[in-house]
Order: sequence, then C-alpha cells, then structure tokens
Amino acid sequence: MRSAMPRSLAAEADNAWASVWDVIEWLYLGVQAAALAMSAWFFVDTYRSVQVSRRHAVGVGALEVLLLAQVVVAVVLVSGAPGGGKALLFSYMVTALLVPVIAAFWGSIDRSRWGIGTVAASGLIVAALMMRVHQIWEFQVNVGS
Amino acid sequence: MSAPEQTAPRTLSSGFGRLIVLVYVVFALSAGVRAGFQVATKFSHAPISYSLSAIAALIYLVAAIAIIRGNGRLALAAVSVELAGVVGVGAVSFAVSGWFPEASVWSHFGSGYGYVPLVLPAVGLVYLLRRRRSEESPAG
Repeated sequence: MRSAMPRSLAAEADNAWASVWDVIEWLYLGVQAAALAMSAWFFVDTYRSVQVSRRHAVGVGALEVLLLAQVVVAVVLVSGAPGGGKALLFSYMVTALLVPVIAAFWGSIDRSRWGIGTVAASGLIVAALMMRVHQIWEFQVNVGS
Repeated sequence: MSAPEQTAPRTLSSGFGRLIVLVYVVFALSAGVRAGFQVATKFSHAPISYSLSAIAALIYLVAAIAIIRGNGRLALAAVSVELAGVVGVGAVSFAVSGWFPEASVWSHFGSGYGYVPLVLPAVGLVYLLRRRRSEESPAG
C-alpha cells in the first residue's frame, strides 16, 4: 500500500474515505447494540424492582464512553464529508450523549421499580436516535460518493 | 420481600410517571427543535405540517410540566388534546395527503416517530386516570 502512494494519491484518498464511512457505520451500530443491551438489562431489573445502584451507573458509563467516542470520531472525520446535514448529525449525537445521563439522574431519585425503568427507556431513546443518525448519515452527509 | 413503605408522598411524576415525563420531555425538545428549524428555514414548503409539529411540541411540553408539578387536571387536559390531535391529524393526513407534503409529528398517526405519538397519549391517559382514581379512594 505504502509503495503505491505516490502513484495513486486519488485512489488512496478514496480508500481513506471508504474506511471513514466504515468507522462511522460501525460506531452507530455499536452504540445502538450497546443501548439496546443496556435497556434489556435495566428492564429485567425493572421487572425485579431493583433500585438504581452503582452497577447501573457502570452500565450507563459504558454506553456514554461509546457515545463520546462516536462524537469525537465524527467531529474529527466527518468535518470534510460532502453533504449539508453535518450540524443535524452532530445535534443528534450530542442529544444521544445527554439523554442517558439525564435519565440516570431523573430515575435515581425514584424509590419504585420505575427508577431504573426510566433509565431503561433512555436506552430505547438512544437506539431510536441512532436510527436517525444512520438516516442522516446515509442521505444528508455521505452523499455524492 | 415486604412491600416498600411509602414514606415520601406519591407525586404524579414518581413511579411510572417518571418514565412518562422522560419521554414527554424528549419529545417536546426533539419535536420542538426540529419544528423550530423547519419553520425558520423552509416554512412555505409544508406550512400545515410544520405548524402542527410546533403545536404538538408545545402540548408535549405542557404535559411534561403539568405532570412534574403534579397538576393532574392540566396534565389530563393536555394528554386528551394530544390524543385527539394525533387521531384527528392522522386521519386527515390519510384523507387529504396534499396538505402534508412533509411529515408532521402527528401525520399518519405518528408513523415517522415509530407510532410513539399515538401510544404515548393512550398510555398517559390510562396512567393519569388510574392515579386520579387511586387518589379519590386512598384506601385502595
């Protein structure tokens, strides 16, 4: 690959873009899967009337690490992408970043089973937001390739 | 496994109401920001859709605040208007599709939002009515 660089810079650039698109796709699929997994786990705890505890905070934290990675990678990589939907894309990613944290605070002050149930619902919201991120990425950012 | 003691007073936004408030706040913000953006940038494109989305966002906000503040009557009114809105606008959007060149929150019974706009007021109404009944007969 490295030896071919001087000869085909354009092809190299295309390759770079293709891998960027892969990274973005893997990230939102990964975030979506993690959000659904967290949601399923927390809904089981809702059913068992478990109080919000430290291990739930670890679960939310793990999802937040993925979401944060997504925002950082998107800011670094997507800035040069074609299409005019970038602000929209970032706004959805930042919203997804905030929702589980707000839900965790809002849910943790409840003594009933729906404390953790509220945090569980935030996982579904994040998964839904990732669907929109996917749509925006496919049709409004990653265009004309 | 004993029943949890109800030391703190049950407010409208505790228990299952907490989950409902989260969904209402998320919908108020997301629909509101989106409608605001659409009205500001391309209102003439689909004036009915965008206006209705803005109205829907406002009603979500009223419902969320009413539940948080424990105003059962206002919450019930907002959720009822919401249910009437999504059913009415949903039906009109199928009958006169020309009025809705772009999707609105309530058009096609909220299909663009996974039908959550249709399910949410139904769930909210059941919750609020049950809570009101349990308050009228505190023994239950």
